[in-house]
Amino acid sequence: MELLDRYLQAVRKHLPWERQDDIIAELRANLEAQLEDKEAALGRALTKEEAEEWLKQIGSPIQVAARYQRQQYLIGPALFPTYSYILKLVLTWATVIYVIASVVTIAARGLGVEALAGISLVHAALRLPWIWLINAAIVTLIFAAVELAGARFPGKIYPLAPMTPPWSPLDLPPAGAGDLDWRKPRSFTKSLLEVFFGCLFLAYILLVPHYPFLLLGPGAWYLHSLPYQLAPVWWPFYWCLVAINVLEVAWKLVDLARGSWRKRKNPARHLAMHVLSLIPVGILLAAPEQKLFLLKNPADAATLGGSLEAVNKGAFQVLSIVVALVILQLAWMGVKMGLNAYRKRVAAQ
Amino acid sequence: MGYSMTLTENLFENLRLELRRGCLTLAVLAQLKQEHYGYTLRKALASRGMEIDESTLYPLLRRLESQGLLTSEWREEEKRNKRFYRLSSDGEEIFARLLEEWNQINTSIANLL
Repeated sequence: MELLDRYLQAVRKHLPWERQDDIIAELRANLEAQLEDKEAALGRALTKEEAEEWLKQIGSPIQVAARYQRQQYLIGPALFPTYSYILKLVLTWATVIYVIASVVTIAARGLGVEALAGISLVHAALRLPWIWLINAAIVTLIFAAVELAGARFPGKIYPLAPMTPPWSPLDLPPAGAGDLDWRKPRSFTKSLLEVFFGCLFLAYILLVPHYPFLLLGPGAWYLHSLPYQLAPVWWPFYWCLVAINVLEVAWKLVDLARGSWRKRKNPARHLAMHVLSLIPVGILLAAPEQKLFLLKNPADAATLGGSLEAVNKGAFQVLSIVVALVILQLAWMGVKMGLNAYRKRVAAQ
Repeated sequence: MGYSMTLTENLFENLRLELRRGCLTLAVLAQLKQEHYGYTLRKALASRGMEIDESTLYPLLRRLESQGLLTSEWREEEKRNKRFYRLSSDGEEIFARLLEEWNQINTSIANLL
């Protein structure tokens, strides 16, 4: 039957080459026997339409051939949990390493040229999806190769189950730890202690300008002997820091006075305090001519001007990296808050 | 309404196939205590109420053979070369254990209903 020959030829094209002849010979024998039965029952040969319908019922050549493949999937169910775990780990670390490397590279090139820095940041951000794609592709290819080897040599290659880190229920974090911490009601003692230590810290930072050894210890006297001094921009930075701490202590006091200390910590408030913490660093970054340190005696400029410039540049770059990392942390917190809100909304539906 | 019906039907079909998958292996092993080639095996199973598509049964025979549960040989019958399958000694042992498992599941389900 010509239609059956064409069908078997089409199936053959999609079969593994080393088993093509054997499979097709068996399939032909089975289908021809079935065809004979059908024709015997009808008392005549099948019409073209009937033959077409019969072969369509058996399935398309690609589907039929696929059933003979040893491997039906790229990464099977035995390997998939390990694959998924490793993929998340690799993508997270690739992102962290790439972001740190990009920030350091941009800072090293000099953030002073603001336009160039902006362009570099955009370029770095646009490259991130490619980093994800390349890393995901590499991990997927490795796991697909392991799956393929497992299918080719059954019993000789075991799934990567041993790669799952050994664990015990006793090692798991206590219930309520981590993100769930926000849901725990707070104790009065804890809230009171928070206010007490907040006031103590406030007193400490108010005393630091008058008694620098409180911050630097014996280093304060060494600093005194250095030919450098802090630029005036450090004063607005300092008062901004004080204001943020006053605000935080006042917030906690109001909570205590209103009896709302029992309320769970509000993640949005936590995020807001983080955003506020960017302001003092921003003030430093906006220092005129990026000068964070000055010479005590301007007459030393000829001998110490070069080293001062290097110190200022280095300090500015470190601050840029700090700001970039804090912004990343904020973005991460924002994403987590958004996800939690979305999950809560979905769970409530 | 029509959309949710399709979803329900798809869900049912997926669960049905999942349920049948293991049963098909058991049925094939049971039937291959006697020697059969692909087409006669399919007919024998169908006559006992277990319909299996060609595209499912024939590859399944190959897989069970590669797992050592079946043995096969090419032989001429009615002027046509056919591949005959039969349960191997390993297959007999595995079949007996699977049958025991099947009976336990059946009993448990019957108790639950």
